[in-house]
Amino acid sequence: MRLGVLLLIALPLLADDFFEKKVRPVFATKCQVCHGAKLQSGGISFTTADGFTKAKDKIVDVLSYTGKVKMPPGGKLNDEQIADIGTWIASGAAWPETAVTKQPEQTHWAFRPVAKVAPPSVSDSKWVKSPIDAFILAKLDEKKLKPAPPASKLALLRRVTFDLTGFPPSLEEIRAFEDDKSPTAYRKVVDRLMASPRYGEQWGRHWLDVARFADSTGMDEDHIYPHSWRYRDYVVRAFNQDLPYNQFVREQIAGDLMYHDGDARRTEGILATGFLALGAKPLAQQDRMKMIYDVVDEQIDSTSKAFLGLTVACARCHDHKFDPIPTKDYYGLAGIFASTMSFRNLGRPGSVSYINYVPLDTAEYGRYQAHRWRMYATQLELEEAMGEDYTRGLTLNGPKIHDAIAEAWKAKHDGVKPASQRWLDWLEKQDGAWRTASTENIDKVAEDMAAAYNKAAQEWDTSIKHWRQEFASEVAVDRDIAERPKLPTEANPFWPGGPLETPQTSRVAFLRAEFENLKKTLPPEPAMASAVTDGVIVDQRVFPHGDHLNPSEPVSKHFPTAAGGAHSPAVTGSGRREFADWLVSPDNLLTARVMVNRVWMWHFGEGLMRTPNNWGLMGDQPSHPKLLDYLARTFVEGGWSIKSLHRQILMSSVYQMDGRNPDSAADPANRLLSHFPRVRMSVEQIRDSFLALDGTLDPELGGPIKVKRMSPDEPDAKAESEETRRRTMYMPVRRGSVPVLLSTFDYGDATTVSDGRARTNVAPQALFIMNSDFVAERAKGIAQHLLRDEAFTDAAKVERAYLMVLTRRSTPAEVDQALSYIASFTKKTNREGAWQSFCHVLMSTNEFLYLN
Amino acid sequence: MPTRRSLLGGAAAGFGLLGLRGLLADSLNPLAPKTTHFAPRAKRVIFLFMHGGPSSIDTFDPKPRLERDHGKPVPFQRGLTFGEDSVRGLMKSLWPYQQHGQSGIAVSSLFPNVATCADDLCVVRSMVGDGVDHGAALLQLHTGVFSFKRPSMGSWVLYGLGTENQDLPGFITIKPSLGHGGQNNWSSSFLPGHYQGTAIGNSGMKVVDIEKEPVPYLQSKGMNQELQRYELDMVQKMNRQHALANDHDPDLEARINAMELGFRMQMQAPEAFQVERESPETKKLYGLDNEKTQDFGWQCLLARRLSERGVRFVQCSHSYKWDQHSELQKLHTQNAAEVDLPIAGLLKDLKGRGLMKDTLVIWGGEFGRTPWAQGADGRDHNPYGYTIWMAGAGVKPGFVYGATDDFGYHAVENRMHIHDLHATVLHLLGLDHEKLTYPYAGRNFRLTDVAGVVHKGIIA
Repeated sequence: MRLGVLLLIALPLLADDFFEKKVRPVFATKCQVCHGAKLQSGGISFTTADGFTKAKDKIVDVLSYTGKVKMPPGGKLNDEQIADIGTWIASGAAWPETAVTKQPEQTHWAFRPVAKVAPPSVSDSKWVKSPIDAFILAKLDEKKLKPAPPASKLALLRRVTFDLTGFPPSLEEIRAFEDDKSPTAYRKVVDRLMASPRYGEQWGRHWLDVARFADSTGMDEDHIYPHSWRYRDYVVRAFNQDLPYNQFVREQIAGDLMYHDGDARRTEGILATGFLALGAKPLAQQDRMKMIYDVVDEQIDSTSKAFLGLTVACARCHDHKFDPIPTKDYYGLAGIFASTMSFRNLGRPGSVSYINYVPLDTAEYGRYQAHRWRMYATQLELEEAMGEDYTRGLTLNGPKIHDAIAEAWKAKHDGVKPASQRWLDWLEKQDGAWRTASTENIDKVAEDMAAAYNKAAQEWDTSIKHWRQEFASEVAVDRDIAERPKLPTEANPFWPGGPLETPQTSRVAFLRAEFENLKKTLPPEPAMASAVTDGVIVDQRVFPHGDHLNPSEPVSKHFPTAAGGAHSPAVTGSGRREFADWLVSPDNLLTARVMVNRVWMWHFGEGLMRTPNNWGLMGDQPSHPKLLDYLARTFVEGGWSIKSLHRQILMSSVYQMDGRNPDSAADPANRLLSHFPRVRMSVEQIRDSFLALDGTLDPELGGPIKVKRMSPDEPDAKAESEETRRRTMYMPVRRGSVPVLLSTFDYGDATTVSDGRARTNVAPQALFIMNSDFVAERAKGIAQHLLRDEAFTDAAKVERAYLMVLTRRSTPAEVDQALSYIASFTKKTNREGAWQSFCHVLMSTNEFLYLN
Repeated sequence: MPTRRSLLGGAAAGFGLLGLRGLLADSLNPLAPKTTHFAPRAKRVIFLFMHGGPSSIDTFDPKPRLERDHGKPVPFQRGLTFGEDSVRGLMKSLWPYQQHGQSGIAVSSLFPNVATCADDLCVVRSMVGDGVDHGAALLQLHTGVFSFKRPSMGSWVLYGLGTENQDLPGFITIKPSLGHGGQNNWSSSFLPGHYQGTAIGNSGMKVVDIEKEPVPYLQSKGMNQELQRYELDMVQKMNRQHALANDHDPDLEARINAMELGFRMQMQAPEAFQVERESPETKKLYGLDNEKTQDFGWQCLLARRLSERGVRFVQCSHSYKWDQHSELQKLHTQNAAEVDLPIAGLLKDLKGRGLMKDTLVIWGGEFGRTPWAQGADGRDHNPYGYTIWMAGAGVKPGFVYGATDDFGYHAVENRMHIHDLHATVLHLLGLDHEKLTYPYAGRNFRLTDVAGVVHKGIIA
């Protein structure tokens, strides 16, 4: 895809394309600041054909710096740019209707309403098992291509099992399917797989890529989101329950506003807004306003790409360069998200800000908070009382230190019993001048020591006062409290248990007991969600050039006009509720299309439209626009059921084709789908199936991540990722340190809405397969499994290994090849080693790693 | 849009199918060395990163005015600061300065060994960044921005230049910190994954532990290489049978190549990490014989070994140590003592081996520190004017560029924003920062976003 971009540039461009690619970007970046929509210096505007009329004849001279007027004033354009503009003028200076001025639906296929299309007629109606097939076959007919024959039974079983659950079929499942000769055998498999909870994990993981899900804030501080797993589990449940997609979308934007206390989906609604809450965000940014608007931007970017397939965030600083998305539309959405709370508290200057958490049960949380506040209040009172005691001790005893030391020294020196044995015992433990003191200087020594101790005591007094202030302010922001400063150490006579300890007042004892009791009875923190709530409602203004310090005209909360938001309703509160409703309303042109395309992509490896997050003018042209509209329409009419969409696709002939087609030369990219595409497994599929094959998978569904410590330098997340035997989707992922295994296999950055996983082939992946302990252990496990049952001959073991790992029957030649490999490997090591190596070989092959 | 497969398929039509496809699979290697926009001055970069923010005023930017006004209240408007409530009076450098070499560049007594290389340094005293906190500042230094995740400078360089040694990763960061952006600082972000930096351990690890497995999965623990080759031959035999049955799909061919490359890598790469192979004199030059200097010395020496083997971008991190909000005297002394000798060792070694002429060395932190005291004995963050230095390929040796105001707070002369630094570094590598773009999310992105000016004034 990416190389494709480079190639396109080399192709001759159509006139409009030439203007859009070569001319308009120069106008937009170099000219429009002074000659644009806002300012028309010299009556010239580079935004419309009319505005440009005055400049048309002079422009090449002006740009070439040959005449008196030299533009742009900041520096001459490069020769190529000037030549391109010259070419455009010479060819008639045709000014295409611009994206912003022209009605969007006339401009661009994706901004037209979803068409009502009937499946076309085709050459071979027998091939058409689903309306989808008619659309595919019609295109193949145009190119005189024949679709590939149906895939073998086992190939199809492998394909659909990995596709729906992320695992290979088990030996039992293989046998059952082979034995089932009924015409509904495949349909039964599809139903079984979609009913498995593994389906929700596999397909929920796809959505988590879109939701740029991770378990930490990333950016500067990378704090753990301790409740992120609840959103992850919500997504898995949504897929397993076939939650209608329109409801899924609405809940993720405004689930907190959709249900009342007592509604069955109240909790789910709160959890769903994790979509907005779990993005990457800075916490230490000292310009809080910038920080808030960076988070707003992140939410606009993620929301618009995920649901609308639009790059709205490009319009933060200027009107979108290519799509009809004016800055006004960006700030229309910004007003909605700026009125939404993502931070609980912005913190004091110099500190970090606190992430917003929402309790799932408000009443329970209220009780918990009341208890905590009582505990903290008691603690504060206790500290005050102790402080009073301490000060009293200082006042009373401070002046006595000198005499006590001098007396103890004299008693020791004279060998008589001291007035206070306690003093002497304590002094015996101290180093310093008092040991070597003489009659002449003991007074001075005692004075110095007394002064030093009093100073230390006072310093402690100061630090405890400072801490008390901090305590009060931390409690105020509802954050865990800094530890109380440690008392002076034993070297100081004011140390408790030291010679100067003053008796504790009964008040201190009482408060201490009460505090300990409250601490003991504090219930565990109630369930919380990383979620958003409505905050202070903001009357948003446009920030020209994205600069929040220079707000300009006010803008009402509204939705992107390009996607059908021209008639945005008046909103209440943040406007999230109305935005959520609009996203799935009939006015919206994109939401359904974008999702059916994603589902198609996750089944076939590529979408019908191959830039799933960019449906704008710079996006891809779909291979089958009519099919896209047909699917979008039936998706909506069928109640937005993802599972129905799956069924429609999985039961089609297209999905059940073989992966090879010798006649496909006319369409080498296979965009027309003359055969089933070949796709490298995702890292989850690779790791999960290894665990399933040797039987060491920990099948636990959902639940919290197990990362205790918060400091970014603690390697806990990493250790957990390496040790867990749960499915890969449950590995904790810190944005600041994505596990090496994941990033090696194109997991993505978990920070921006995924375009679909890349499928690279690079050496570090080969090294993981060849050398990691993880893969070696799995190979050993499979070998042990094979060797355990000695009733099988070695040949039967080989056949079994092929069936387990590659889901197919081996040929006699392959069995011979394997046996001779095992025999000679046994000579070099031993039988176990040889079988382990053979299993490792199967797991390392392309045939295993590629789904087809 | 055509996929890689379609390109291969299309281009291959009419040629000897197999041979050309194999050839293309190689020439499509995204890490193969690429042609630069213009003749490069430097071929590779070693970035010595002082995480925490060393004080410019106490190291390479002497300020007589602070000597005079020591202790006086801050007489100018302060910018956004991290610790607002602990601002005290102006504080002079705690270390005396002396001029060094022919060039007479002033270096404080914190860096006695680097001072002996003064005539190689190109000191930039006018750096400017936008991040007041560490996270933002690190992200901007490494990726150009801090509001979004973007590819790291090293990833852009690798994307622009490819790498000269296919058996080693092209962008390596040694002992990076996992905090303050962590992996984002060496991530390829939206650039393809093969441009990602490879981390050698992290700041929390000991060198002895890193040496056991410098690159993940580089060595098999259970099998010797002869057995492994035997096993790999079997894998490849099956892969070729499979490819034959599947029309030699270029994806399949590419993975066959990747497995061979992986095998070659595990043969070749470990040698590069065997710092113990160096002579006792060399180890001493980098301070490996001294407990204080051995960690950073090991990093510098490894950086040289990797650079001479063709690794495009190597970063060493002294992390996260330089953040002296208090105890400046004690800890800056300690920090400098840990890096001074190894850095000087690296510069001398590069010179001795003739590598200095095409290697660019950059030294610096994410920001400098304030001219006023924070608390009794500290300095706060200062991104408004601070010092870095460069040495080697393409930069003027024994040269001081730019200046801060009398107090060392704001850069006032030849201000070099981080975007400018990036533009200049790319320029030295033969890349035009405005042309090194990558299409993502509907537009072309660059390391320097919409800013950046090449500072020709430092170019030799």
